[in-house]
Formats: sequence, structure tokens, C-alpha cells
Amino acid sequence: MSVDAAAWDALRLSLWVACWATVLAVPLALWVAWLLARRDFWGKSLLNALVHLPLVLPPVVTGYLLLMVFGRTGPVGQVLETLGLRLAFHWTGAVLAAIVMGFPLMVRAMRLAIEAVDPKLEEAAATLGAPGHAVFTAITLPLIMPGILAGAVMGFAKAMGEFGATITFVANIPGQTQTLPSAIWAALQIPGGEGQAVVMVVMACAVAMGAVVLSEALARRVAARIAGT
Amino acid sequence: MMRLMPFFLALLASLAAPAAAERVTVFAAASLRGVLEDIAASYDGEVTLSFGGSGTMARQVSAGAPADIIALASPLWMDWLAEQGLITADSVQIIARNSLVVIGPAGAAPLAGPEALLLRLGSDRLAMGQRDAVPAGAYAQTWLRASGLWPDISDQLAETDNVRAALALVARREVPLGVVYATDAMAEPQVSVLYEVPQMNTGPIVYPAAALTTNGGPFLAYLGGPAAQAVFAAHGFRAP
Repeated sequence: MSVDAAAWDALRLSLWVACWATVLAVPLALWVAWLLARRDFWGKSLLNALVHLPLVLPPVVTGYLLLMVFGRTGPVGQVLETLGLRLAFHWTGAVLAAIVMGFPLMVRAMRLAIEAVDPKLEEAAATLGAPGHAVFTAITLPLIMPGILAGAVMGFAKAMGEFGATITFVANIPGQTQTLPSAIWAALQIPGGEGQAVVMVVMACAVAMGAVVLSEALARRVAARIAGT
Repeated sequence: MMRLMPFFLALLASLAAPAAAERVTVFAAASLRGVLEDIAASYDGEVTLSFGGSGTMARQVSAGAPADIIALASPLWMDWLAEQGLITADSVQIIARNSLVVIGPAGAAPLAGPEALLLRLGSDRLAMGQRDAVPAGAYAQTWLRASGLWPDISDQLAETDNVRAALALVARREVPLGVVYATDAMAEPQVSVLYEVPQMNTGPIVYPAAALTTNGGPFLAYLGGPAAQAVFAAHGFRAP
């Protein structure tokens, strides 16, 4: 395999993993953010701490915990394997690692956006006869859309850059679980591997810049739409 | 004259001190942890040990890390350091040798040969160091290619960022088989050696070391001496 083919493979896998992680995590993060912002329940501070844990734990520890729980001998991993879903040493495991690592960033951005919505607007809609779900989709959701987008971009960026938990949980198998950061690390472990590493560093920078520019453009469009209505 | 005596004594002590009490800093490959810690404890002098991947250590030295000795798991990185002009090729000394083994969970039946490996593996994965980045992984790839197993097995690998992580995967029963150094297998009671890879299929597995400063000279000589070599042997390394 040529240098560039390996780099493109790693980039393709990273994008694939990051897209899946973002798509799967956004609805869950939105729900958790809404719970934390608008509901009082027993164990709320515990949930909050649990969500933030991957942000403060060393990524290697998070990866090791994932392997303990979702590995083939782990309690959850065993159950999933009987259902035909394998996570350890598989790209699906990289998605799980990316979701867990990006989740706190998503929840934080979305929770701030929800807390910034004036509850009186929602109450007004409710007094005019709108059912709960209609209040959320017609009032709350459009107002917090910039926060959701910001959270999604943060989660996507984290998924693209995740290294420690990923390499610990799903290893570093070229073409299977070798993401862009894992491939850059591997290239730097070979004498004279700088050339290959530079190619991938440029790729990583281009994706990161693209994601930021895209999110800015989306945020402007959403802001313009909210201002227009 | 007598009044100057303490001054002379102090001067003499300051001249003598650097040779005896100067701290030696050693940057070493991760697979030498354990054995080098034991050797440093038996050495008459202060030794600071820093462990990491061979590539990481070599790059840090090239970037000006304050190491007196560098000991690596791969001659490739020694050549690279020589190219950088940080060491001279003739100052490199082999301090130990190692060999590759196939391991399984403790108590598993030995493998008759390389062919039996595929059968035992079934649809599971074989843990080894990353084929490009980790020296133990590169040696494993060389052997798997030489024995003709590579085309069948290359889709069933779990490649880790260091050889000890591959060892841990087998010890935790996450995978049924792994390829690690003989010394790694000895350090982990949860695994058994199922097959010893012939030296001719991996090429020599050597640990080269070199002094980066004159301060590193005495400890490097000590590493090649009988006292240190006995510790290497006790940890399962072969004589250089």
C-alpha cells in the first residue's frame, strides 16, 4: 500500500466514524441537556458528573474502562456479542469511543442554549393550547438550534481528533480501526516517517478548518432565520 | 598551612564528586522496564530511568532531551540517531537479545507449529504490536510473512500501540492468542507460551544502547558487565 493510500484510508475511516458518532450522539445529548436544564430529579448531579467524566479522565482510562465493560469479556460486551454486535477492535467501537468522549462537549453547548430560552415563551405557547411536543418543536427547538449545531460541531471535531481512548479500546489496525490520529502517531514511530505524517497533518487541519467554516455559515443562516420570523 | 587544609579538602572533594555522584539519565525502550529498574537498583550510583516507545525516545533525544544513555528495542532508530550525528555508529553496543513467542491464556495447550495457529484462532483476533510502529509488531509481521500465514491472518489482527498492551489483551482473555517477546510472557502469570518463534524467521532481536555523553560511559559499561548481564538473564533476555 502506498503512503497516500494508507493516509486516505485513515482519513476516510475518521470521517466515517465521526459522522456516525455525531448522528447517534446528537439526539441523546439533546435529551440529556434538556433533562439537566429543565428537570429536577433525584440523581441529577450524579448524571451531570457522569456525563462530564470523560472530559476530566485521562483518555487512556476511558478507553480501558470501555474495554472492561464493552470488551468481549465485559458484562455489556458479552450481551452485545450474542446479538451479533461487536465493538472491541472494530470500527463500531471507535464510534462508541468518539461518542463517549464528545458527549460532554455536546451536552454543555446544548444545555447552555436551552437555559437561555425564556420559559415564558414556552408557557405562552402552552396557554394557547399547544401540546408539550408542539411547544418543543415550534418554540424551543428553533431557538436552541445554534446551540445544537455548536454542540454537534464540537462533538464531530472531538471524534476526528480522538486518540487515547480509541487506540486503547479498538487498537490500531490499518484499514479497520486506524483513524487519522492513530495513523499519524504510527507514522511518527518509524524512522523517516515524517513525510507521511505531514500529509496526514495537512488532511487533519483541512478537515478541522472546513468543519469550523461550515458551522459558522450554518450558525449565520440559523440566526438570520430566527431574526426573520 | 594547616588553616588552608579544609579548603584543599573541599577542593579535592569537588573534583572527585562528579565521577562518583553524577546522576545518569537513561532513556530506554518500554520493554526494558523491569530489568533496567532492577539493574539500576544494584548500581553504585544514581540512575534516572525514562521509558517509552523506541521512536518516541529517539525523537526526544534528537530534540535535545537531557539523556546520557539511550537503549532501544530497534536498531533502525539507532541508525537514525547516527544519521542525525547524535551518536557515532561504532559507539553502539548490543546489551541484550530477545525472542518472539506466541502466547495464550495460562494453561492452554501448546501449538504444534505456525499452521496450527490459524485453526486455534478461528474467527478471533491475534494481538500484536502495531506492524509499522512497534518493533515487536514489525518482528511479528516478518515472521508471519516468512511462514506464509500473513495473507490469511492480516484481517484478524488486534494491533496495539505497544507490546505490553498486546500482552494485556491475552491476559484479560480479550483475544485467544498474541505475539509478544519471551520476556513479556515471563512477566505475566496469566499467560502461557504456546509456541517459540524460531530466530531465523524474525531476524535477530537486539537491544542496542549508546552513550550520548561521557557521563553515560560508566553505566553503559556496567550494562555489558557480568552483574547486569545476570539480571538480564534472570528476566529472560538472551546474552548479547
